[in-house]
Amino acid sequence: MPDIIICPSCGENNLPDQEFCQYCQTRLQPLTGPLKGADAPIKPGQVPTKKNTAELEPILPQWLRDARDLARKDDQQAAQENLQQPAQSQPASSAKDLLAGLQSQAGDVKESDLPDWLASITGVISKSTKSQTESSDFRWVELGDKNDFAKDESAELSSDEPQPDEKDEVRDWFRNLGSSEQTQQPEQPESIENSFSGSSASDTPDLLRTIGGQEETANSADSADYSETGLGEPPTGIISESLKSTESATSANELPDWLSSDATIPPSTAVEDEPTAMEDVPFDDIEDESEAAALQSPSYTIFEEKSLEPAQEEHPLGWLDTFQPVSAHQPETPIEQADFTPLDFTEDSQVSDNLDELFIDIPDGLSSASEVPRSSIPTADTDSEVIAPDDLPSWVEAMRPVDHGISQLSSQTLESGGALAGLAGVLPAAAGFAPMSKPNAYSIKSQASEEQQAQAALLEQMLTAETAPVPMASFSVLRTSRRLRWFLTFTIFIMIAIPLFLRTQMFSLPVGIPLAVNGALQVAQSIPEDAPVLVAFDYEPARVGEMEAAAAPMFDQMILLRHPHLTFISTNETGAILVERFISGPLAVHNYQSGIQYLNLGYLPGGQIGIRAFAQNPQITAPFDMSFSAAWDSAPLEGVNSLSQFAALIVVTDNADAARTWIEQTESARGGIPFVVISSAQAAPMIQPYYESQQISGLVSGLYGGALFEQYNAGRPGTARSYWDAFSLGMLLAMALVLGGGLWNFSLGLRDRAAAWEAQ
Amino acid sequence: MVISLDLITSVISFLFTLLILSYLIGDNPLFRIAVYIFVGVSSGYVAAVAWWQVIMPRLIYPLVYGSVLERSFIAIPLLGALLILMKIFPRWAGLARIAMAFLVGAGAAVIIAGALIGTLIPQISATINAFDVNSASVRNISVVEVIFNGAFILAGTVFTLIYFHFGASPKADGSMRRLGLIETSAWVGRIFIGITLGTIFAGVFAAALTALIERISALINFFGNF
Repeated sequence: MPDIIICPSCGENNLPDQEFCQYCQTRLQPLTGPLKGADAPIKPGQVPTKKNTAELEPILPQWLRDARDLARKDDQQAAQENLQQPAQSQPASSAKDLLAGLQSQAGDVKESDLPDWLASITGVISKSTKSQTESSDFRWVELGDKNDFAKDESAELSSDEPQPDEKDEVRDWFRNLGSSEQTQQPEQPESIENSFSGSSASDTPDLLRTIGGQEETANSADSADYSETGLGEPPTGIISESLKSTESATSANELPDWLSSDATIPPSTAVEDEPTAMEDVPFDDIEDESEAAALQSPSYTIFEEKSLEPAQEEHPLGWLDTFQPVSAHQPETPIEQADFTPLDFTEDSQVSDNLDELFIDIPDGLSSASEVPRSSIPTADTDSEVIAPDDLPSWVEAMRPVDHGISQLSSQTLESGGALAGLAGVLPAAAGFAPMSKPNAYSIKSQASEEQQAQAALLEQMLTAETAPVPMASFSVLRTSRRLRWFLTFTIFIMIAIPLFLRTQMFSLPVGIPLAVNGALQVAQSIPEDAPVLVAFDYEPARVGEMEAAAAPMFDQMILLRHPHLTFISTNETGAILVERFISGPLAVHNYQSGIQYLNLGYLPGGQIGIRAFAQNPQITAPFDMSFSAAWDSAPLEGVNSLSQFAALIVVTDNADAARTWIEQTESARGGIPFVVISSAQAAPMIQPYYESQQISGLVSGLYGGALFEQYNAGRPGTARSYWDAFSLGMLLAMALVLGGGLWNFSLGLRDRAAAWEAQ
Repeated sequence: MVISLDLITSVISFLFTLLILSYLIGDNPLFRIAVYIFVGVSSGYVAAVAWWQVIMPRLIYPLVYGSVLERSFIAIPLLGALLILMKIFPRWAGLARIAMAFLVGAGAAVIIAGALIGTLIPQISATINAFDVNSASVRNISVVEVIFNGAFILAGTVFTLIYFHFGASPKADGSMRRLGLIETSAWVGRIFIGITLGTIFAGVFAAALTALIERISALINFFGNF
């Protein structure tokens, strides 16, 4: 939704024309646009345009407004004092002293509780007016960049603040340095710091700036560069002048050897090499020496106090403005007129060696800068020579205090929106999750009663019992022994093959005739001559040996006696082909012809539904025979229109379910026609109840039934007889094996029980 | 040299008999070959039977040569067959439910009605009529034998049914046991069930033994013919 501005702080929706969030008063409209045109950064040498930003006054924080008011008052007081005491301020400026600029800062420093050594560094307690660059100040404040950094940096530097003892030490030598600075104004060549004045001076050690920044023009150029970068760093010349005074005033014991010998370096060498050397020297190395610490403490103190002073941070160019008029109005005084002893820069080989060691890691930018011929070094008094911020070497950028502060703050949380935008480490990383107070101490002693503890123990016992493995009773598994298997196979094969091969008739056929077989015999003998008989062939080819042996005697007798017209049908896909095998096999002697004496209706689909449909209307259900001829017009089915018109129904099956289906589904359709089932021995026990219930007329089951029937058929066709000895031996062997195995197992059980009883 | 069909079939049957009997040494490639051939031949034969004995005479022939009435009758099973064929396409598989519902409903009705009329009622009646002394003369047996047979059948039926009564009540020691009378009757019923299963096992063994005898006889006859 482009018409709604979402507050980056509270996330609430605001109208696009609102400048502040109506919920949290967070600024929604940025004060600065793209850095173009009027908002473009000020370049070196460019005089900032004064803008009337009074309308922005109300939005400033209270502390900033207070600081601004205080600064105005200070400026007014300083202006009055300058008017009243022109003579006092004149010495600082008349001596072409760059520290004269500190006079204007002295007042601010004093009010900002600067150390005494810094406040009295120039020896003059004077206040200079600061130029008001409120426009840029407002911008910095609202952007939250400069002040925020200053706050953080001040907070960080406060931890590194030197101890009072160190301050006192520094104060002594630095005070001496201030007193002697007026006497030391050696003519120095143009400082190389001008080429990288602003940015490099920010982090350049004081000693480096001391050696390099000697000329006023260079100072003014430095000031311009500082205004360009906006760092608000003090001009290098201030400290360099101070340090130069220190070099002449302090004794060799107070300064390190390498530093004291620096003063003897010729100007050309010192100016070109010293800054680079000092910038490469780590502070840690310097801090090892007490003198180095003493030298660093003033510069750090200056930065620290400056960062702590809001008014001064508001006007990063203010101190430059107060500085420039003084230097600008001062005529360039010859160095000879200065009342000081110039430094005696003599070449020291030892110092050169030390410097060579320090220049091992000279950055490329600095090394190239040091190689620039003096003629190409820009002079500080040319304001047109501007170094764009983008042209600054990377190592200079890295040395900027801003980067230094950011690098330290990188590990902290940086707020990206709201009133705290740009601030880091203000809020805890996990607000709301940090422990707000010490957790209460609770007693770990159980306060449950005995009853509760007993119940808990009972529950624990129950759970333990549930998870405990329960040993399962193991049973001895009867494994098939290869030897036993081969023994049984060999025995059965021998017992079967020998009678078959010898065609023995050791065992007589079964005597007597069961009622079920007798019923089948009666049916076979009682059907009319040439009567149509329906035969259902529903057995698997694997049972063909048994089924043919069981069915052949009955059909042989029936054909011999009654010459029935047989109609075959099967609910098994292979039944039709088995019919042909049966006719051409055991009944081949009768020479029955298809379509004349018998008819094969083939496969009857549908299972029980098909049988039911065939029982109700056989002509529609099975209209064709296997030769795709009209079945019900053929001779075997002549005059037959329904199931009840058949003379008999014979089901030959090896499956009790098939027999049951035929019995059930033809119950109402077959009427009173005889129904005989010729089944396998395995299905006979399940079919026997249907004979007991008189639902079927007879039952011939297995080889036993066939053998019985053969006895009443003059031993025809003789298949059962040929199998009977082998069958009898096989059955005896099976009974012996079963009985012997049972006795063996029983004996093993007795032995185990006896062993267990003895063990007990 | 004329090779008779009987000789070919005898050789093939002999080889396949040996392949099947090779299972005695365990599962082996020869046995697998025989099984795969049987499965393939059976599948092909069933497909041929389905085409020549079902689809052609019962669907295509009436549609081509049948009368209008026959064609109209054939349209219904044809539509059902087409609906069942929709099972091939998952998107249209739901249409097959119509024909399947008809088949399942009709099949259930036929089976239940047949079981009720052909098995349950006649068997119950037979059990009751087992004590019919009038049937003694018909079956040419004595009255005592009729009563004994009826009592035996009744006892076997009742005890077997009691065995399948698994209702029990908790005892004082927490164990679950059936009533004493039911437990005793179930024990008797278990004897009847054991006898029945033994009979079935004997029938199965007899059937398998007969099949084995037939195969060994075929092998002997195969060698005897040479």
